[in-house]
Amino acid sequence: MELPTIFSITEDEIDLNDLLARITLTSTGAAAIFTGMVRGQTARGDAHETEYLEYEAYIPMAEAKMKQVADEIRGKWPVVEGIAIVQRIGKLYPKTPTVLIACTAAHRDTGVFEAARYGIDRLKEIVPIWKKEVSSDGEFWVEGDYSPKAGE
Amino acid sequence: MNHVKLLFFATIRERAGTKSLEVDIPEDMTIRGLKDKLSADIPGLKESMKSVLITINREYAFDEAPVPLNAEIGMFPPVSGG
Repeated sequence: MELPTIFSITEDEIDLNDLLARITLTSTGAAAIFTGMVRGQTARGDAHETEYLEYEAYIPMAEAKMKQVADEIRGKWPVVEGIAIVQRIGKLYPKTPTVLIACTAAHRDTGVFEAARYGIDRLKEIVPIWKKEVSSDGEFWVEGDYSPKAGE
Repeated sequence: MNHVKLLFFATIRERAGTKSLEVDIPEDMTIRGLKDKLSADIPGLKESMKSVLITINREYAFDEAPVPLNAEIGMFPPVSGG
């Protein structure tokens, strides 16, 4: 049976309940879900306030790389049943969920937490998505610090 | 000549002043050659070409790679999704 794998770039609100239902099998007993949202107030490091973030993506490549991340998760944690990787793009305001990674498995002690953590870390390394931060001080592009290697 | 499509994103798109560009290049040109050509043709991109990430047909590619015929080339800064 084909295991459910969802990967998408969307301008729509992220519907956690719908995604969770789609990656839950009759054998599923655990889901680890990571979601990131726009942080309006940053205390760590350079303290500042954010008015909104504007996301863009190289959509066909981003979706292909999300599938690659899902394949990597399955290679490392064969117990994972369903995987959802969704990035919302466009202009997004504080408290709005922007990204969701969810992995399901039969039990919680199967590595399912680590699998979801790996998913968000890899998304931030290789999936072509960018965000511009807009605040009262002006706007600047956020840039990652990872350089993909050949074959990534 | 090789007719290729360039797609620019984020800072590279803003500095290029356009989302995409179609260009004719010699058939033996490498990614490094293409970056040198863009640095010369579009002064706003000269600085960016030093640290830009490149993709060929939606896979990451590097300076020595030859540009395939009719390729789709992506150019962008390190990614920052999430």
